[in-house]
Amino acid sequence: MNPKQLTIEKVQEILRREQYVCDRALATVVYLSLVMGKPLLLEGEAGVGKTEIAKVLAKVLDAKLIRLQCYEGLDANTALYEWNYPKQMLRIKLEEVEHGDKQKVETEIFTQDYLIKRPLLEAIQSDGTNPPVLLIDEIDRADMEFEAFLLEVLSDFQITIPEIGTISAKHRPYVFLTSNRTREIHDALKRRCLYHWIEYPTFEKEYEIITTKFPQAEANMAKQICAFMQRVREMNFYKRPGVAETLDWASALIALNRKGLDDKTVVETMGCVFKYREDLHHLKEQIDGKQLNLEALLRVSPEMVS
Amino acid sequence: MEITQETVASAVNSVASVRGRGTLPNMMAFARALKQLGVKVSLSQVIDAARSADLVDIAEKQDFRALLRSNMILQKEDFPVFDMVFDCFWREQSYERVPMETLEIQGTPSESGAEEGGDEEGLEEAVAEAAAKENVPLENLEEFSIPTYSPQELLNCKDFSEMGVEESRAIARAILLIATKIATQISRRKKIGRKGSTVDPRWTMRRSMKYGGEIVELVQRKRRIKKTKVVLLCDVSGSMDCYSRFLIQFMYGLQNELWGVETFVFSTSLSRITHLIRTKDIGNALEKISGSILGWSGGTNIGRSLHTFNRSFAPSMVTHRSVVVIISDGWDRGDVSLLEREMQDLKRRCKKIIWLNPLLASDNYEPLCKGMQAALPYLDLFLSVHNVNSLVALGRTLQKMVA
Repeated sequence: MNPKQLTIEKVQEILRREQYVCDRALATVVYLSLVMGKPLLLEGEAGVGKTEIAKVLAKVLDAKLIRLQCYEGLDANTALYEWNYPKQMLRIKLEEVEHGDKQKVETEIFTQDYLIKRPLLEAIQSDGTNPPVLLIDEIDRADMEFEAFLLEVLSDFQITIPEIGTISAKHRPYVFLTSNRTREIHDALKRRCLYHWIEYPTFEKEYEIITTKFPQAEANMAKQICAFMQRVREMNFYKRPGVAETLDWASALIALNRKGLDDKTVVETMGCVFKYREDLHHLKEQIDGKQLNLEALLRVSPEMVS
Repeated sequence: MEITQETVASAVNSVASVRGRGTLPNMMAFARALKQLGVKVSLSQVIDAARSADLVDIAEKQDFRALLRSNMILQKEDFPVFDMVFDCFWREQSYERVPMETLEIQGTPSESGAEEGGDEEGLEEAVAEAAAKENVPLENLEEFSIPTYSPQELLNCKDFSEMGVEESRAIARAILLIATKIATQISRRKKIGRKGSTVDPRWTMRRSMKYGGEIVELVQRKRRIKKTKVVLLCDVSGSMDCYSRFLIQFMYGLQNELWGVETFVFSTSLSRITHLIRTKDIGNALEKISGSILGWSGGTNIGRSLHTFNRSFAPSMVTHRSVVVIISDGWDRGDVSLLEREMQDLKRRCKKIIWLNPLLASDNYEPLCKGMQAALPYLDLFLSVHNVNSLVALGRTLQKMVA
């Protein structure tokens, strides 16, 4: 699909077709990113659908998804490119046996045939008819130094390899970066991106997400789940549950054939929502100590449906 | 700086003279109003915003807001300020009534050339011209420069507790600079370590035996420097009041620059504040911390706090490579034997324990209070933190350990 033909409404619509519910602001930013060819930096709590949107977009744009998962210690060799040393060695050995031309070998083993493409180079060199979607996931996990590599790639869409020269992108890839904010991203990198913070969804949006993903879910139960999630996110838990947890929980409840939520079901399936022992413990303590009324938690209050 | 309706209105008013017809002058004025309220916006961001203005229907206020926000704002903490300025700025321009007139990007050519818009050169020129028109040097449109502070030498030796509000601001900046410096030096060292990856000829030869002496696999040698983690435990009880603000600033600076710093504060109980001081806005963070922490400026129970730490956090956060830094004056109202037990436990877990005591600097201080005495045998380093110089010294020590 050509991004030039897109509009904000269309972005929203095609994302929804792939079961991704997004609000107008996010759709606008995604649209701008696609049309301007500027990378989009998405921040937000864990499990609000930062990574998912890149995946879904790759699907609807019919583009190849190239994903670079960041981790501490990620370096240029694993992110950009690496020379294929064994292949180079074999070639040298071969020429040794055949008494080949020394000069020729020297130039030939430093050509693209001997290059192992890592995600960033792959994204730049992609040949397909559509530009690929490059997802740089959890950039905050990589070291600060790694951000410096990204600067050249993200502003000029080119990579310089000393032995070959500068390789420029045939198609500008659509770039999405995500961050969980375990540390601050450097301003130089941020300035090259559009920025958007994905909030936890509102009650209505979350309800829409559940019913879009699981049309078979009972409306009443979906509402209960959303109400519970909205309230729990305001409470003091070590790790607040995201949309991913909501969906996990909904699918678990559907698998269990539940039509509605009651105290017992909630306690039994709490593992879907809280992934830390302390949080589970905290919740259980509160329920047992009657400080927390589950029924009230599950009720949909009028201010939620504004 | 506190942002209120009034400050926003006055910022918007003060840029009124720069506003003109056409997208770019307006956006530049808007960016400048933001800058006055402490939100940095660079020129390239303004240009990008102006360039993308014809991509959305700017009569749709929400879309226009998203457009400007995604282009100009780099962190969510600035969203509220942005929204206030946005509402104030574009309302005054009677946004709803004549949006197309005020925001027209490809208008009729005018003497200012600012409406030229469209291609890149045109925009850059327009920026320069618009700036020249108002006699504003272009550099001023770049990011706000950080005001430098001259009497720093003086401050370096002054005790934190003797400082007033004015000085504390200057010191906050100094602390941040130091923390940044420490961190960048560390990262440079790491980098050299990683670049030191070379081919290991000995192992390459040895591996090639199985291929009959043919070299197929290259064995690489990497100098892997394992990074030390730093855990900061800061006393914020009443007796530490005059120091804790600065120390938190230091922790904040360090945490934002170094990878893997965990920060806790304690008085009678312990709270993890790593996530609270992760933001760039230290003023806000301080407020959040003092607002959310029980027993701020209250009594001290070091033993119990350490117990909580050892039980709940240490198993996952402290390894034999961690440096634990405790900042406290050692005035403990709790059980001394518990403190000793917990120190012993902590010592077993971590690589080094550093205790920073702001009182250590005074000439007649001796670590006589029971809490301090109990902890003393388990410390690797006992340093003072009472002024900027001592922080520099601490920085160096940490740097040696961490790198």
